[in-house]
Amino acid sequence: MNSNKFFSFSRFYQLLRNDILLNYKKYLLTIAGAFILGFIVTNAQMPNYMDNDSTYKFDSSSYMTLFVTCLVGLGAFVGSAFSELSSKIKTSNYLHMPASTLEKFLCQFVIRALVGTVIFLFIFWVDAHLARIVSLNHIEYLNGQPAGPEKYDYIEKFHYSMLLIKSKYPFVTNWKLFEGIGMILIAFSTGIFLFSVKIFFRKLGLIKTGITLVATLFLIMFVMTFFSHLFYPETKGLDIANIDYTLTNGYKNSEILLYSIAYIAPLFLLPLGYFKLKEKQL
Amino acid sequence: MINIKNLSFHYKKKSPLFNDFSLEVESGCIVGLLGKNGAGKSTLLHLISGLIQPKAGKINVNGFVPFERNPNYLADVYMVPEEFAFPPISISTYVKAFSPLYPSFDSQKLHDIFKEFELHPTSNLNKLSHGQRKKFLIAFALSTNCKMLVLDEPTNGLDIPSKSQFRKILVSSVTDEQLVIISTHQVKDIDTVIDTVVVIENGTIIYQENTDEIAQKLYFDLVPSLAGIENVLYHEQCTLGQRIIVPTSNGNESSIDLELLFNAIINKTI
Repeated sequence: MNSNKFFSFSRFYQLLRNDILLNYKKYLLTIAGAFILGFIVTNAQMPNYMDNDSTYKFDSSSYMTLFVTCLVGLGAFVGSAFSELSSKIKTSNYLHMPASTLEKFLCQFVIRALVGTVIFLFIFWVDAHLARIVSLNHIEYLNGQPAGPEKYDYIEKFHYSMLLIKSKYPFVTNWKLFEGIGMILIAFSTGIFLFSVKIFFRKLGLIKTGITLVATLFLIMFVMTFFSHLFYPETKGLDIANIDYTLTNGYKNSEILLYSIAYIAPLFLLPLGYFKLKEKQL
Repeated sequence: MINIKNLSFHYKKKSPLFNDFSLEVESGCIVGLLGKNGAGKSTLLHLISGLIQPKAGKINVNGFVPFERNPNYLADVYMVPEEFAFPPISISTYVKAFSPLYPSFDSQKLHDIFKEFELHPTSNLNKLSHGQRKKFLIAFALSTNCKMLVLDEPTNGLDIPSKSQFRKILVSSVTDEQLVIISTHQVKDIDTVIDTVVVIENGTIIYQENTDEIAQKLYFDLVPSLAGIENVLYHEQCTLGQRIIVPTSNGNESSIDLELLFNAIINKTI
């Protein structure tokens, strides 16, 4: 029976099932490892003593630093997609699997990028709460008496909105839709870069993709340096001309540039990955 | 059915492997694809199965262009490569994961072949020997009932009983709608199962003949010496005398000595 050559739900389901059947142990171990490592790192960052003179508080900015650090782990997971393309033998098996390129691409995207991100957010949330409870109990134990409401001064209760909405120690000064989505898209674009560019490499794909990401950032810097020299001859060496200005709507031009790249990049990176997979040869 | 017209292919920075290559093979036969090392056998199999793209020319297999990798085409092609890798899972998990992707998969057939090959579904694939893993892959390939089976050196690593089991299973399970292409150097392992011989050298077909026609044209014999024998097309010395190929006369037919035939073709005496 001939079915749609681009996408069939039953085939896509079978492909997802196939991936989970083959890799469920790896996924479970990754989840367990991420949970334990996340808890250890989070707990290690939290204060475990109560000192009224201390200025060390665990607030939204601390959570943000931790969250960005943990995002590297998610990036590694997303970047380890298409592990079947790591050798000629595996590539041959993978390309021969009876599913369309779109289904294969979407299957990896759903498992690595979408489900991976949801599970990561859940693990981080659980770790943050668990680490806080453990740290507060530790503080209580050291003090010999229950910690009162002032405990919130030491370790703030974690909620995701604190990473984007104005708070006591804000990472983002005001909640702005453009900024908020821009920041999420920067993380998303980085993930999509790791996901799509990985297809270009066979051995040590994640490392090569990471190097490509750094090289791309350096290339952007180089281009900006080049234009700085071109339009601002007074620029010295590798400096980038300081031409920051604030628009009437309050945004800086550099913010606009950064967020624009973040908005646009996935539109190129996803098709790039798809067509590379489609044209992949042994 | 495979239809290749004016195919050209070369690897990056290498001289052309195929130049204006054409081949036509009908379904319902088992083709023995023979050739020396580097003749292009594996490359041809990769081209036919859609793993690499031709530089020029057209390949059509059962109405599909292989490199487009249409899922309906992929569901009807199974390739048993010379080298393979499995995830660390049991045979039954592998079957559970992959068999639903092949619409014509026959579980009963797989069960029967497992019995013949003495394979146990609970065994971990990575703990099996190379030969056992190859037997599993052959069993799975035959059970998919794909219209085209591509077997690259299928008997490499198989022990002597398994080689005869392989021949028996292959002949009994292939239908008229299927096409099997076997690329091998172990010609003796497949000489009783193939019905078409294709020999390629330097990217061109130097011989393509049906085994019935070969048997009608050529006579293979073992003689103590060449004395008194006329029209010897090719001969090779062996411990018992001479293995010879002569033109068939008086309608006598012999079983084909594929190795001798191959050497005769390569030495251009046929």
